Amino acid sequence: MQTNIITKIVGYIIIIFIIISLNFFLPRMMPAGPLSGLTSSTQQVSEQYIMYIVDLMHGDLGWSTTKNAPVWDVLMRSIIWTLLLVGSSTAIYITLGILLGAVSAWKKGEKTDVGLLILFIAMAAFPPFFLGMLFIIYFGWRLDLFPRFGAQTLYIDYSTAFGTLLDILHHLFLPALTLTLTSIGVIYLLTRNSMLNVLDEEYIRTARAKGLGEWYIIRKHALKNAMLPIITLVALIAGLVITGTIFVETVFAYPGVGLLVSDAISAHDYPLLQGAFLFFAFAILAVNFTADRIYELLDPRVKEE
Amino acid sequence: MEKRGREKEKMKRIITILCLAILLCCAFYGISAAAGGATAAATAENSIKIEGGDYGYPTPFALFPKGPGYIRMSFIFDTLTWKDKHGVIPWLADSWSRSDDAKTWTFSLHRGVKWSDGEPFTADDVKFTFDYTKDHPQLWYAYNAKEIDQVEVPNPYTVAIHLTESMPTFIDDVAGCVPIIPEHIWKDVDDPYTFQEDDAVIGTGPLKLVEYDGTQGYYEYEANTECFKGEPIVDQLIMLDVGDPALALMAGDIDAASFMGKEIVAVEEFEDDSDFEIEEGSSWWVLNFYYNVGKYPMNNSDFRRAIAYGIDRADIVQTLTQDGSILANTGIIHPDSTWYKLGLPSYDHNIAQANEILDALNFTDTDDDGIREYKDEDGNTTALKFTLITSEEYKYEADFIKDNLKDLGIEIGVKSVGKRELGSGICCGAFEFAISGHGGIANPRVLRTTAMGTSRSEEYYEIYEKQLMTMDEDRRKELVGELQEIIADELPVYPLYHPKIWRVYDPDKLDAWFYTKDAIAGSIPLALNKLIVLFDSWRYDANEDGIIDKSEVNDARQDYDEDKITLEQLKKVLNLYNP
Repeated sequence: MQTNIITKIVGYIIIIFIIISLNFFLPRMMPAGPLSGLTSSTQQVSEQYIMYIVDLMHGDLGWSTTKNAPVWDVLMRSIIWTLLLVGSSTAIYITLGILLGAVSAWKKGEKTDVGLLILFIAMAAFPPFFLGMLFIIYFGWRLDLFPRFGAQTLYIDYSTAFGTLLDILHHLFLPALTLTLTSIGVIYLLTRNSMLNVLDEEYIRTARAKGLGEWYIIRKHALKNAMLPIITLVALIAGLVITGTIFVETVFAYPGVGLLVSDAISAHDYPLLQGAFLFFAFAILAVNFTADRIYELLDPRVKEE
Repeated sequence: MEKRGREKEKMKRIITILCLAILLCCAFYGISAAAGGATAAATAENSIKIEGGDYGYPTPFALFPKGPGYIRMSFIFDTLTWKDKHGVIPWLADSWSRSDDAKTWTFSLHRGVKWSDGEPFTADDVKFTFDYTKDHPQLWYAYNAKEIDQVEVPNPYTVAIHLTESMPTFIDDVAGCVPIIPEHIWKDVDDPYTFQEDDAVIGTGPLKLVEYDGTQGYYEYEANTECFKGEPIVDQLIMLDVGDPALALMAGDIDAASFMGKEIVAVEEFEDDSDFEIEEGSSWWVLNFYYNVGKYPMNNSDFRRAIAYGIDRADIVQTLTQDGSILANTGIIHPDSTWYKLGLPSYDHNIAQANEILDALNFTDTDDDGIREYKDEDGNTTALKFTLITSEEYKYEADFIKDNLKDLGIEIGVKSVGKRELGSGICCGAFEFAISGHGGIANPRVLRTTAMGTSRSEEYYEIYEKQLMTMDEDRRKELVGELQEIIADELPVYPLYHPKIWRVYDPDKLDAWFYTKDAIAGSIPLALNKLIVLFDSWRYDANEDGIIDKSEVNDARQDYDEDKITLEQLKKVLNLYNP
């Protein structure tokens, strides 16, 4: 078990190293030097590389050319909004996806199941930016129910923290809904499939034979066993959700890291782009790491292996 | 049966929870909407909202060196002279004079001007600004006051600026662009680029910064009621990062927005809407077709002319930009500029003429593959096949030109590259043909390097240097005209089109939007001149001739009777009355 943990940690360190190196070399491999104006030509690439690693260790991600500020500061100011957006929608799409997936499997073939199935397959087929635009036009403009851009109304002075919080939630609703709806389909479908398999197992029949209630069986016997592949999937689609975030934040002018990325791309701000890339890479690694831990908790066999 | 009942209970519970969740959403929407409604009234009475976006902290040293960055700063900081719809106007300086050699410029400063912290503005602040800028270049134009020898302050309201060499363009290029900063604040600041305290935005301008949030692209200004140009007519100016300006404008999130070139499609949406008005202006921007004049056969001006005849610019303007642009002046300077030379050749689409020139140059299709060939120095036959680089934005223009040139027997391969790569490619001559654009074409300054590498470049540079030193404006105009003639004749680049620019606005909120003569600070095309927030007599100049006539005075009198303007404002209008 001890060696197992060590292997894993070494694995993560290697991955981090590869990401950092890629992050250093990719922009330098681009033709006609996006970095020509930024790095002094007297330095060898190897020297630059070592300096880059050393700076990185000190939390120095370089200087954003468009924002005229350290990349670290720029990222830190935006990260809070991205965490809020991704965090809230992830919580919702995982919970709701699993719940509805279970309901769907339980009601297999019935109207509820078919309805949910069609709805979520359709939702998963919508690109996030398109769904976002539809929401902005319909809920934002036509019905005038939600703000159409931004993360808060800065020019209104809400005298209480509660007022400000409500304003932030009000702004969050449509972007979070977009991200939730475009991500929930995968979780729902997998839960449904996984549950259908488990419901066929003999121990479920045994439980039924014991006279346990259906809902109890689903909760205690079926869902727990169906969870394992779902956890893996949540980690796997983290990357997908982050791509979605870039689109959603751009469409809603939501001031997170995703909007920074799209601005940095159009303005060719490579240091900022590299910083954002590192942030996303670490975020995905963190999700994977967490998934690994949860996996061990749910299935002690993994730990023992 | 009992089990069934229990399951139903469970199901009911799930449904209840879902319903509750939905209700909660609705409730929080309701509360926040109510909260919004209640406090919306708390915003200033005459508040204007326009599209924002982060362009840095609005000081001369922390702004992002782009047009919108300068604009955000110009609301707070003033220059010695400024410009309105008709040209240069006095600002911090009431009047000025220059020595015969244009090496000394003397400014009489407006009296009674105060910084927004209450300190008086004096000639020492002007001297300090130029001295300080020598060590700390201002970000706009990377201005470092290098032409300034010394600044003298004979009395608190006079500054004499001595230059190292004569500079007839000092008003346009320096006095009207360089914001004056308060000495009492900045004298202790070592690193102005990171100085972003509240004190950093103390200026003399019509607005004061209340809040800046770079992450959310948000700027909030309030009126500087002590402004020496009179109390602003706007109490609050808010800039918001709205995502889609057309939608935000339609939904009432903002009161005015700017559109350019191909965005004409969005502008057309507002044309029949009586709630909005549209003001059209010039973008001071040009999209160019570049030849690499250092390479054969592009170094031959006849060849360049043949290609010019082959490119159907009128069709590009009509089809690709949907008339959101105008045909470019082949001498680069924008037709709306003071410096524009009328009547230059326009190289109207003429395939027969293009073919004639190419035939005369011995570029002929010898192998009947539809592409012309020529014999190089070693006697090898080379086909006229070239690569055209451009950025993704102008890919359609590139494809269009590719088709045009195919008709002449010239094959073009289009390569789309990043903007920075495109810029460096054109700079270093690492290309054959390229499509790219630039702004600043209101000012002859933009012509400095244009004719580099052409057969008449020496003559060109002599004229360029000469016009820089020419005091007489009419003579200077002639010389700048000659430069444009050379460009149009030699075609080191072939200007394709100038995009139009529009301000779409809600006139009930503010109807003072206008475009500045020859651009703000010499190159910024936006209708965001700070004069829009101030009362000015030109508002009554209905026929825009710079003179207030009798009927226009009557309009002002009527407005005074209806309490729309103050007596002081009425007097301002009467001052301009010219029977």
